[in-house]
Amino acid sequence: MSVSRSSPSLFGSAARIFELSLGQMLWSRRSVFLGLLLGFPVLLAFALRTIDAMYRAGLWRQINGVRVGGAAIFGLMIWLLYIRFIVPVLGVFYGTSLIADEVDDKTITYLFTRPIPRSAVLLGKYLAYLVCTTLLVLPSVMLVFFLIVPIGGGSIGAAFPALLRDFGMLAIGLAAYGAVFALVGTRIKRPLIVGLVFSFGWEPAVLLFPGYLKRLTVAYYMQALVTHEMPQDSAVSVLMQVFREVPTVATSLAALAIISTGTVWLAGRAVEHKEYVLEQ
Amino acid sequence: MLTRTRYFLVASLLVLGVGVGTGLVAYYVGFPAGAFTRGDAADELRFIPRDAAVVAYVDVQDVMASDLRQKLHKALPGDGNGQREFQERTGINIETDIDRIVACLNPNSSMSNLPGAGLVIARGRFDEVKIEALMREHGAHVEEYSGQRLIVADRADHADAGDHPPQTTTFALSFMEPGLTAVGSTNLVKNAIDLHRAGDNPQTGLVSVMRNEEMMQQVKALESGNAWAVGRFDALASRAHLPQGVAERLPPITWFAVSGHVNGGLRGVIRAEARDEESANNLRDVVRGFMALGKLQAGSNPQMQLIAQSLELGGTGKTVALSFVVPAEVFDAVATMMPKRQPEKPQPEKPQP
Repeated sequence: MSVSRSSPSLFGSAARIFELSLGQMLWSRRSVFLGLLLGFPVLLAFALRTIDAMYRAGLWRQINGVRVGGAAIFGLMIWLLYIRFIVPVLGVFYGTSLIADEVDDKTITYLFTRPIPRSAVLLGKYLAYLVCTTLLVLPSVMLVFFLIVPIGGGSIGAAFPALLRDFGMLAIGLAAYGAVFALVGTRIKRPLIVGLVFSFGWEPAVLLFPGYLKRLTVAYYMQALVTHEMPQDSAVSVLMQVFREVPTVATSLAALAIISTGTVWLAGRAVEHKEYVLEQ
Repeated sequence: MLTRTRYFLVASLLVLGVGVGTGLVAYYVGFPAGAFTRGDAADELRFIPRDAAVVAYVDVQDVMASDLRQKLHKALPGDGNGQREFQERTGINIETDIDRIVACLNPNSSMSNLPGAGLVIARGRFDEVKIEALMREHGAHVEEYSGQRLIVADRADHADAGDHPPQTTTFALSFMEPGLTAVGSTNLVKNAIDLHRAGDNPQTGLVSVMRNEEMMQQVKALESGNAWAVGRFDALASRAHLPQGVAERLPPITWFAVSGHVNGGLRGVIRAEARDEESANNLRDVVRGFMALGKLQAGSNPQMQLIAQSLELGGTGKTVALSFVVPAEVFDAVATMMPKRQPEKPQPEKPQP
């Protein structure tokens, strides 16, 4: 009697890869870097809170002669630390390594020889990246929020709706950056360098100038989702304020959804068709 | 999945769950602070522009229903014709139809004089048709703005003493939602409509006073009361075109705040924030002097003595606060000094032809 065995579906296979990859991703050397990266804002918030407790007279809470409350400092940290730095960095380091790590470790063969669609490997790893980074970034933001917002008499309750919006925005940002760099990782030979140049070269440069090029960035659409005011911390920021045209929230959400799904799909196709030659 | 991975997931979700839970509790329970409570002024403050120099709030229902108001209504001369006429012309009974008012003053850079641009957000029950008809009778026209009807009237301002020519400003009214109306300078009313429609959006420059942290800290620091006002003293003084001698002698105050609770009597606090501690100490000395003078003047008048005794000077650092209580007895005494109000006579019936 013969038993017919149908191959598992794309999502079923992706779920198995997700389960396998999540543990690998969390307990890898890269996670030490991730922990340091996300621990820094928490330590900074803790330091600010301590200084606030020591100098309750409010001597230090002046930026350019203007008194700044906890909610404003939190907004500043969201902009400068999370949106401009942590989210793109996580996207670059994790997104580009989804397939590249398996190629470098020469373990990709083991995954590709399983009776599952090749694109399921990428999809499962992408989902593991998303869960891993989201569950590390959001608690970090949460701790920073509770440490920083009460400074200067700020109200947790008043600022709480903004925190929920920040959560959504950060999760969307991680999804979009991760998807873009997953595509880069599957298509390009040195994805990390390309990713860093894109995040910290191309995106900030293009956003400074008027024109349509900025629409070829993720940051352009992310800006519209941020509820905090953009800090004017440098001449570059002032220029960004001047030349900035902000798309509507609906446009941004639609664009980021298209970027995320489109690039994951393209990355999946690349994995399906690309022939990986493992160097001996 | 490894056990430690499972622990990590549980720990992370636990931190998020506890944080979100605490935030929700703070949002629903911990939000009220002093005079600034959600469901009261907070709702209307969302429509006040961020750069407002003065923001004021009155719980009209509370004030109208207070014993003090009832006493004054009975004691003060006048037969209430003005109030009745206002009701006939607008359909608004001030005593019952208006719940609360939030107002702001925005010294407009394009205008040479105070008061600049103003906006009043009123919540209550309004006869929209009657009010619109009344305004149109007086030359107003209706415009459409962001899907809202905007009733706009022109108002010619007088020329001031300087070289500035007379200006024509527009005054508008809009019913933003049932029971909520915005009335004031057209630009501010349009801004309120935008804020009502889209909410705060710092990216487009559309921001309410709720994001003005300095102003909101002043509001939160107020004593609870059914009427209050907070404003930037320096912003108002710099645009008031005061004579040089007067302007130089003004105390260096940056913020002022007044809050009061009207019930049987009147309890209130006047608070000022000076530029520095030295200025605050000087201001305290001046107020102390006036308090001493007031106590001397009170003499043997028991009501005045009660007021004088209630005066209390406080505040630390740059803040100077003066609290006072005007007890119900003072208003009773005032009422006895007033001529008695005549009871309304029934109108004689006109003879039938």
